[in-house]
Amino acid sequence: MSESTLHAITGMIGEVLGDEMVDEPITMETSFADDLEIESIELVQLAELVEARWGEKVDFNAWIAGQSIDDVISLTVGDLVTFVDSCL
Amino acid sequence: MAEITPHDVTLHVQTTGSGSPAVLFLHGLVMDNLSSWYFTAGTRVARDGATAVLMDLRGHGRSERPATGYGVEVLLADIVGVLDHLGHAQVVVAGNSFGGQLAAALAIAHPERVQGVVLVDAHLGAEGWGDAMASTLSLTGEARDTMIATHFQDWLGRHSTRKRTRLADTARALVEGTTLVADLQASPGLEDDAIAQWTMPVLALYGQDSDLRDEPDRLRRLVPHADVRVFEGATHSLMWERTAEVVDAIAGFVAGFRCEG
Repeated sequence: MSESTLHAITGMIGEVLGDEMVDEPITMETSFADDLEIESIELVQLAELVEARWGEKVDFNAWIAGQSIDDVISLTVGDLVTFVDSCL
Repeated sequence: MAEITPHDVTLHVQTTGSGSPAVLFLHGLVMDNLSSWYFTAGTRVARDGATAVLMDLRGHGRSERPATGYGVEVLLADIVGVLDHLGHAQVVVAGNSFGGQLAAALAIAHPERVQGVVLVDAHLGAEGWGDAMASTLSLTGEARDTMIATHFQDWLGRHSTRKRTRLADTARALVEGTTLVADLQASPGLEDDAIAQWTMPVLALYGQDSDLRDEPDRLRRLVPHADVRVFEGATHSLMWERTAEVVDAIAGFVAGFRCEG
């Protein structure tokens, strides 16, 4: 995994959650739903930030399209970091 | 974030994919927003080659929440404004729950702009629908919170405290702070005669145990060419109970428009 990708995504999560950002450090194991309690509309916002940062080479939408709802609900920060790294 | 201001309100719109056809997705009331389509059929049809247009209705998601303008007529004007802004002369329109009623209303008011209609356990506005909707939404206190929990569940992190608090706050702001309830109550239902005029392809998916269980037969009677499917053991939450089947059905329907160029 890339530390810089994790760092960048942690920053994006902070931007999305704003004042409701969790105090605990964000790790590869952090779950979007259970740990961050992120709302689905906020995950769409995160997708926008990913696209703004890395452009078309990181196709978040296609990545989501390939996953079931259960997969999405159990997504971790590490899943996203690994996916982004695989595209770069 | 794409923000579009078709007339008096700024709306949050996401477009993904760039192919044909363009598919407009409309979500349900109060607790819903464009993300429910994003994480289901929206990204899927885009991956398959279509253009998905997802919008938050006024007062929902990341769209502005003005105090007024929640009747079907104004919401339709918002929708048409978005399509005009994006340059989509024609779309396949898909709606879940109340979003399905808006999809149907769009197909009635602007049939020239609608290539096909997808209804997912859609209210079609039979007589008295406005009163029924209003009585559900007009609850207060604990009764309202129970209603929120049972009728307007969101799928992601649905057990979290933060989320429940947010949902309750959003519902309160929309139900108590806007004219939504009164506007819906005053909106006319969809006339049988108008629905019977449809000539475009129609896919309708309903839960057998939904409180809208009369709608499939109504559609079959009014629109004989419609592909009406009833899912055994499913309720009004069909989209979440049978997500994979619903997404596959919609993707298959949308694929049928690709060859028409």
